[in-house]
Amino acid sequence: MNGLLRTYAGRPTPLYFCRRLTERLGGPRIYLKREDLAHTGSHKINNALGQALMAKRLGKRRVIAETGAGQHGVATATACALLGLECEVYMGEVDVQRQRLNCFRMNLLGAKVNVVKTGSRTLKDAINEAMREYAASSDNTHYLIGSVVGPHPYPTIVRDLQSVIGREAREQFLAAEGRLPNALVACVGGGSNAIGLFHAFVDDSDVAMYGVEAGGEGIETGMHSASVCAGTKGVLHGFKSLVLQSSDGQINETHSVAAGLDYPAVGPEHAFLGSSGRVKYVYAKDSEALSAFHMLSETEGIIPALESAHAVAFAAKLSKEMPSNGAMIVNLSGRGDKDVNQVAEMEGNL
Amino acid sequence: MSRIEKAFRAVLSKGDGAFIAYVCTGDPDPHFTIEQAVRLSDAGADILELGIPFSDPVADGPVIQGAMNRALSGGFATEHIFHVLRSVRRRGVSKPIVIMTYYNPILQYGPDRFCKAAADSGADGLLVVDLPPEESAELDGLAISHGLDVIRLVAPSTSSKRLEHILSGASGFVYAVSVAGTTGARSELPSSAEELVKRVVSMTKLPVALGFGISTPEHVRAALSMGAAGVVEGSGLIAAYSSALPQRPDALDSIERHAREMKRATLRGTVTRQSAQR
Repeated sequence: MNGLLRTYAGRPTPLYFCRRLTERLGGPRIYLKREDLAHTGSHKINNALGQALMAKRLGKRRVIAETGAGQHGVATATACALLGLECEVYMGEVDVQRQRLNCFRMNLLGAKVNVVKTGSRTLKDAINEAMREYAASSDNTHYLIGSVVGPHPYPTIVRDLQSVIGREAREQFLAAEGRLPNALVACVGGGSNAIGLFHAFVDDSDVAMYGVEAGGEGIETGMHSASVCAGTKGVLHGFKSLVLQSSDGQINETHSVAAGLDYPAVGPEHAFLGSSGRVKYVYAKDSEALSAFHMLSETEGIIPALESAHAVAFAAKLSKEMPSNGAMIVNLSGRGDKDVNQVAEMEGNL
Repeated sequence: MSRIEKAFRAVLSKGDGAFIAYVCTGDPDPHFTIEQAVRLSDAGADILELGIPFSDPVADGPVIQGAMNRALSGGFATEHIFHVLRSVRRRGVSKPIVIMTYYNPILQYGPDRFCKAAADSGADGLLVVDLPPEESAELDGLAISHGLDVIRLVAPSTSSKRLEHILSGASGFVYAVSVAGTTGARSELPSSAEELVKRVVSMTKLPVALGFGISTPEHVRAALSMGAAGVVEGSGLIAAYSSALPQRPDALDSIERHAREMKRATLRGTVTRQSAQR
């Protein structure tokens, strides 16, 4: 596993100091954990490689996965190509439309993409379909879940495989600054990149942590995916956590400009970290994420994924409240190439 | 002895098997569900299962998903199931009724309040498809304290050790899932069904009903000959009426016709029965 992470996935990923962004915002020093530079363009490869190796060890010949933005689907298809496993990915019809490039990438990698046309036709429904398929084929198939959600022990497996992000970042930050950061910022849909960054710092009580959810069109509009900020206790997909639902327990349809955050629940460990107060959960709206998408591209020459742009948007707000001698790490969980078409279309430039 | 156990005993003592009919509550509205339940009872169904629609039914195939979507689009609310139960009882249906649901609607309604409302409205048992026995102690206790049987699912993939644990908390009957997968009609019963039925029957005194994929009289006879005490049909019944739904009288006739045919297949004549082995 460690060998593959180093020679194949490109780990450790750099911890990069954003000089121009820091100057622009005039606040604390901002570092990016560059998961966008990992193979396939996001942190998803960390988990996909680990679970694909597990699948091999379990004697499974076939892997299925769900995907929202397509990053997890691409990472899974990649790991399966590398290890010679059959791969099928479930993806909602809406997401297929907004993330066409990733669909094509999965096909190139030899995976089959099953378009899910039920329900809201996004990530939640892709998980429903993958779970149904897993129930029918678990004797020869491994379900490679991409986030810290699903029945036990998935949230733990995915956290442990993603925790490499925080272990590296902690060491890299100590080497660069000789101390720990004042704050960590990461976007949260299901929450795998956030838990991956946070896990190594949970006991460092002086390090503040912020999970940034998708505020969509605004919490008050109901068009969002902010499960910790606006959800209630519920059970979905085999786990109990905070869920966006009706008072009758029917699951709401959600919205986010970022397909990878468009999910009506959050990993149970985030619900725990939120209720214990260890992590503060906030949200960034679609419009704020889009501004941050441009800002980071222009100041640092780094085009972030729309998901990660939510973290950058909140980091910009936070920097106004923090003393300028402080420092924070923002998890840049993925690169934005996949989103360029979508943004161009939204802004009328295509 | 609960009403569910009595119903099985009555059927088995005649050498027959039990026909258990699943109804998706609120498809397309609660009024239709009430009529449907009455007609199923008239047609000879021995036990009724009232399903609560859920937005994300991961254990269900396309037919039941479709029924649940129709119910939810029609404005289904959890409260409706109790209204349906009371109405069906008022219409003179005395057959046992089991509520089948995903866990989240119960959690939001309040588990104690839910079990009380279910029992007060005339339900006899509760089957929660996505609550594993490791997590079900609270709800089981509440169900039992309100006089509801706790029906449990077992599947071909259930190990014998786990089966023992699951059976230890079960009452009423045991629901054996014929196949690894979701609900929905299949052309023939999978080979996994027989092994499972035999294994479960050898480990419990409770009646064992086989469900998932049962949609023809041949399936019923095959299931009973494997040693099952009954069969559960869901998707097949929904398929029998959903295409006729715009014409409600036709849809109800179609349900009743299909149910009579299925019930007839459970009558004496099949040799190896769970009852005969006692």
